[in-house]
Amino acid sequence: MADTLLEVRNLCHQFKLGRKAVIRAVDHVSFDLKRGEIFGLVGESGSGKSTLARCIMNICKPQSGQILYDGIDTTDRQAFRKNKTRLQQERQLIFQDSASALNQRMKLCDIVSEPMSIHHIKPKRGSLREEAAFQLHYVGMDRSYLDKYPSEISGGQRQRVAIARAVSMEPKLLVADEPIASLDVSIQAQIINLFKHLRAEHNFSILFIAHDLAMVEYLCDRVGVMYRGSLVEMAPAKELFANPLHPYTKALLSAIPLPDPILERKRRRIDFDALEFSREGTFTEVLPGHFLLQKEAAE
Amino acid sequence: MTDEELFTVVGILPQEEAAPPPQKRRRELPIISMVLLAAITFLCLFAELVMTKDPTYLDLANFSHAPSREFLFGTDTLGRDIFSCIWYGGRISLFIGFVSTAVSTVIAVVYGSVSGMAPQWLDSLLMRLTEVMLSIPELLLIIFIQAILGPANVLSISLVIGLTSWLSIAKVVRTEVRQLRQAEYVVASHVMGGGFFHVLRRHLAPNFVASIMFMVVMNIRGAIVAESTLSFMGMGLPLEVISWGSMLSLAEKALTTKAWWIVVIPGAFLVCLLMCVTNVGNYFRKSISRKESHL
Repeated sequence: MADTLLEVRNLCHQFKLGRKAVIRAVDHVSFDLKRGEIFGLVGESGSGKSTLARCIMNICKPQSGQILYDGIDTTDRQAFRKNKTRLQQERQLIFQDSASALNQRMKLCDIVSEPMSIHHIKPKRGSLREEAAFQLHYVGMDRSYLDKYPSEISGGQRQRVAIARAVSMEPKLLVADEPIASLDVSIQAQIINLFKHLRAEHNFSILFIAHDLAMVEYLCDRVGVMYRGSLVEMAPAKELFANPLHPYTKALLSAIPLPDPILERKRRRIDFDALEFSREGTFTEVLPGHFLLQKEAAE
Repeated sequence: MTDEELFTVVGILPQEEAAPPPQKRRRELPIISMVLLAAITFLCLFAELVMTKDPTYLDLANFSHAPSREFLFGTDTLGRDIFSCIWYGGRISLFIGFVSTAVSTVIAVVYGSVSGMAPQWLDSLLMRLTEVMLSIPELLLIIFIQAILGPANVLSISLVIGLTSWLSIAKVVRTEVRQLRQAEYVVASHVMGGGFFHVLRRHLAPNFVASIMFMVVMNIRGAIVAESTLSFMGMGLPLEVISWGSMLSLAEKALTTKAWWIVVIPGAFLVCLLMCVTNVGNYFRKSISRKESHL
């Protein structure tokens, strides 16, 4: 079995605006995700993180490039059809907006067990309802929530229900599109621990999209930084946070607030001049495992 | 670390739930209409218990008999007892109303959902198609299709009426689905592998059923009217099949003989039923517009 679960090669996705204007939401992005790895994707709003996630989950159809999931090219229609059931079971997505991701007219037990009822999977714990209760317990909600509707619970609880739904299939690849952005800190920590636990127990690979850099540093093995649709830097988490190379990464990391007020006041923010940035250049390995988008002329 | 340690939740205690406050009865509930509708439906279903005479028996000795103790609503020009015919024929009218509504609702929901979920070009094509069909008068269409199907019977006429009255419901369904398909739970269901009918049943239908409820109820009314109109014009059910419409088709003869009861009594029942259905339908529409948003 290959070590790489997901490989994204030169992926491009454009959104058309009117007749001529085009937004390059994802622009020649390449990276890979190993089995059991948590890959963090950070970047400012509108940098194409969610679009990338949607392309990986076959919601958006990319203009060019390849996405190889366990050797299956999911951008290829025939290959996708052939492995449809497997792909639908093994890849799960957690949406950013939990209010919209749950049907207001379904009870939580039906929502959580929906993927199982779609695939007619025999629940391990007797009934679908028991299974839903177990999954809800896994994200810290007790049985009394089973018969509630999404409108009756809080935003954080909704997000946890969405996570429970995705996790219930025990996917191999979990694409989490800002799963913790709307949660309060204690729940965030709990969800992060849940992800770590899932990785340890079930060897999940997680593509973790976030803008909370501290969480990314804590959770992820490797981190990719996106800016305006391009992946500008990619490195192991520790390496990236210790030694950022791209000016945008430097600016981004300098924006992390420090808990110590004296240090925080002394801190200097690094400004990033957007004009300096160009999409030109190649993604090269400058240090072992540390990739950077840079102009070749520098060599 | 055990599971319990990992997943203890900070700050969430089991909540105590108070009993919900007693809900106020909705005052706008159309009680009279609902009772009347239920009574008519019930009496029609159990017509055998109510009928005083055989509705199909042509009592030629007593044709065009005015209402009396023996013939409660009189007899028609063929000597049939109108009181018995009302209940017996109401069954056919209601049957046509419900069957054709069921047919048209099923077609409308599937067609509208397909159009709503389809890519832009197919959606446009399907919608232009409905507009072309909408531009043909409904009655003309019914007569055409009925002519193809041959002599009318109860089932074929309800089918034909159903086949011609789904267009406007389909348009509403399509508009609703067009909005709903953007919702992330629909996208999520697709990603998880939910097929078209799964998404339709679990996600789309529960969300748009409220907005078509009024139209569906009104469709029952439309079907009964269409049947009466056709029968009145002599193109619907044959005279020996008793329905309110075919009873009314005797009207022209009755008017020349001053036998008002032949027209007025079935007419009154028809109008009464239609008003009840309209009231109930209106109630549905109003209750949708003030329905709590669930948020």
